Amino acid sequence: MANASAVRLLGQENYERLRSSRVLLVGAGGIGCELLKNLVLMGFGEIHIVDLDIIDLSNLNRQFLFRQRDIKQAKATTAARAIEHVSNSKLVAHQANIMDVNQFPLAWFSQFSIFFNALDNLEARRYVNQMAQYLRKPLLESGTAGFDGYIQPIIPGATECFDCTTKETPKTFPVCTIRSTPSQPIHCIVWAKNFLFSQLFASSGSMSADEDLGTDNVEEIERIRQETNELHELQELIRSGDKTRIRDVFEKVFVKDIEKLLAIEELWKAREKPTPLYNFKFDEKINKNLNTVWTIQEQVNAFVLATEKLMQRLSSEKQIEFDKDDPDTLLFVAAAANIRASVFKLPLKSVFDIKQIAGGIIPAIATTNAIIAGLSSLASLRVLNLLKNQPKANPTELNMAFTAKASNMSNNRYLSNPQLGPPNPRCPVCSIARGVLTLSQNDLDTMRLSELVGAVQEKYSYSGEVSVLDKSTQRLLADFDFEDLLNKTLAEVKVARGTILLISDEQDSEESIRAPVELYIEQGEPEGINLPDIEVPLIKPAVVEPDETNSEEGVSMPGEIILDEDDKNPKKRHLDDASETPAKKALKTEEEHVVILD
Amino acid sequence: MAAQARMRSAKVLLINLGGLGTEIAKNLVLSGVGFLSLVDNHDVSEGDLSTQFFLSKDEIGTKRLDSAISRIQDMNPRVTLTVDTEDFRQKPDSFYGQFDLIIATDVSTEEAIRVNQLTRKFNVPFFLCGLNGLSGFIFVDLIRFDATDEKLKSSVKTPLGALSQNREVVEVTEYLNEEQSEVYERIVTRNAYKPFEQVLKEGTLKGKLTKRQVKRLTNAVPLTFALFSYRDGYAAVTRHDLEQRATDACVQLGLPSENLKQEYVEQFSQQAGLEFAPVSAVIGGTVAQDVINILGKKQSPLNNFIVLDGISLDMHIFEL
Ligand SMILES: [Zn+2]
Repeated sequence: MANASAVRLLGQENYERLRSSRVLLVGAGGIGCELLKNLVLMGFGEIHIVDLDIIDLSNLNRQFLFRQRDIKQAKATTAARAIEHVSNSKLVAHQANIMDVNQFPLAWFSQFSIFFNALDNLEARRYVNQMAQYLRKPLLESGTAGFDGYIQPIIPGATECFDCTTKETPKTFPVCTIRSTPSQPIHCIVWAKNFLFSQLFASSGSMSADEDLGTDNVEEIERIRQETNELHELQELIRSGDKTRIRDVFEKVFVKDIEKLLAIEELWKAREKPTPLYNFKFDEKINKNLNTVWTIQEQVNAFVLATEKLMQRLSSEKQIEFDKDDPDTLLFVAAAANIRASVFKLPLKSVFDIKQIAGGIIPAIATTNAIIAGLSSLASLRVLNLLKNQPKANPTELNMAFTAKASNMSNNRYLSNPQLGPPNPRCPVCSIARGVLTLSQNDLDTMRLSELVGAVQEKYSYSGEVSVLDKSTQRLLADFDFEDLLNKTLAEVKVARGTILLISDEQDSEESIRAPVELYIEQGEPEGINLPDIEVPLIKPAVVEPDETNSEEGVSMPGEIILDEDDKNPKKRHLDDASETPAKKALKTEEEHVVILD
Repeated sequence: MAAQARMRSAKVLLINLGGLGTEIAKNLVLSGVGFLSLVDNHDVSEGDLSTQFFLSKDEIGTKRLDSAISRIQDMNPRVTLTVDTEDFRQKPDSFYGQFDLIIATDVSTEEAIRVNQLTRKFNVPFFLCGLNGLSGFIFVDLIRFDATDEKLKSSVKTPLGALSQNREVVEVTEYLNEEQSEVYERIVTRNAYKPFEQVLKEGTLKGKLTKRQVKRLTNAVPLTFALFSYRDGYAAVTRHDLEQRATDACVQLGLPSENLKQEYVEQFSQQAGLEFAPVSAVIGGTVAQDVINILGKKQSPLNNFIVLDGISLDMHIFEL
């Protein structure tokens, strides 16, 4: 069954190419679910979806492929199953970490025509970016935070890569840290706001008794039933409007659930155990000072009081959303967060502090994810040169896009769409010559590090000492005054499939040195060292302290390539009226307690 | 009333559940709109299956709405959905008076004008959106809308007065943000809107764009306008005829017609009214985000015309 709209848009020939393309989607969260739907509807022939995560309650209000019955199921497989009913694509789901080299060696990546990143963490984004660089495969990078979002096509060798501009580390927390093993006050605040509060007062996922659970496995059905029942019971307690039942809610959340966690012993091998809050009493003494840290008794009192008020409001409002300026919701979240912090022996905070932190938690917004996933899938057609009547675009004629209006950066542009810039010659990733070195199992077991280093020195004309760094683990394996490991075998120094070695010239020269080279170690048949044919240029050594603010033309920068100069003028990014792009904002730091939840 | 509560009491009508309607329905239901009425009298066709993820292969021939509704409801049981499989064109005028907001997708120019006349009559905010293959558009008529935005006060006080053709600052209040002990401004901007019919007749960009902006403006804008001139649908579109009409549209909009590119004319003549999933996602996401904003937070809304060029990803907002 041909996809009529795709045929009209792409033409028959390009449509056939689309049907025979295999693509990789990394991430099945907020952007990933949307992207999967688009790729399926467009008609890509085969789509592999990789995600290690399982579905959490907090995902349901924006990851539209997931339902309450799917909680604790793998995102990748559930997403694939949920879209199957319209799919003409072969869907292959992997519940796995994309950085697992045994499951996904470099060769595995090479089967795809394009990679789509729909990730929420920098480490995996960087990793896929590197794989794209090794294989020279296009990558469509994307990200959102609240109303900010961006997409960026990356064409290795021709356009900026993910690491060409510096990225700050975003603060994200794994679900299990929030749900089971908090170690900072903010974990408790996120739990109180995004889990407990939304479950009790803002949940939209109630489930009917005769719903199709999508499985026939009796144990599985029992597990889902139990989860759902517990959730139901809590919601029922709250919705009963019976204030005497607040005690039961308290018991469940701060005693029974904690006891359940304590029963999972492996969680507490290297952590301090929490202590359930037994025998709590409510004595009606209310502390009104929002700037001080209250006693645990005052927290309990505040919890009960806030719950009473919210229960009352629920009868008319149906659902209540957290709002830091809504005193009832703030008090509930602050008290619940502090009681949990006390259970886990973490410091308590004032309501005022919690207001600031909770207000800074950026929620994921379903519509932003939808828009960004739409743009990502749309942009892939031009990257893959599948559009009818459109001449093949030069990579730097392609556009990235980011939200402008929604990010309050422009009144007359909904999106900004600058053309892609050329690679940054000082990029720590894509400016480095790289290749794949395939070694046999036997060589890995018996070859000494010194043999490998010698071969590299000869092949790429390093005239003097070199240093060898295992980039995957940041271990130094050898340099001019560290030769202890040179006589060990590769296996002994843990060089194996997936290891990335960075070899740098250590020569003491002011004139020129050889640029560094990166080798991805692949395991395969042939014996001996068959180093890849890559050009490793001479560069100026890094002697001057770099002055970031003054990188004008004519000033040679450390590490700058002096051979093979390409004189093309780099296109300047033109932004309407702001210096900080949403792309940057979407990857922002914890400075202001920004937390990106997905 | 808090933003969420306003959302939850809102009654929204969505006309047609094609690819674009499906995206909007998904987003509004996920965001927890209170009442969503869907009106669509189409049967599921094979073409629907490449644009609508709430349908399934074995449902060809059934009513589109009947097939999709359980999957829509399943996303959020708390949203009250109303299903209407009658033809929206047969509805009495009063039908349109019962909603807080109306969104029309996949309708002809003639139909859009009529619905818009009724939304004006009953004072209901109106969104019109549609797709032309790789391109899509949004038209907004909120009649009059006061938006409230808050921002850190700069050294100069925000002055009262017109910002642009359709927008005017009518009130600025200063207040102290206790948490940051800094002075903020609460700015009320009055947005004026025009009905669709008037925009088609008189809308222009003359004097609103810089030379550079005019030069870089995507052909998707005059071509979208040219397609509006086929008032009863796109059966009569030919490449030559569309080019004529696009030239006329350039004259009205104040754009140089010599900038019209053959490949764009060709593309629009072949893709008039065609739905395509990724473009649905962008346009549907944008409409839903603004609808949620209008019903809840009431920050600066879209005013009043947007065109997406799916090739360059250009997406400007024009006041027409
Ligand atoms: Zn780079």
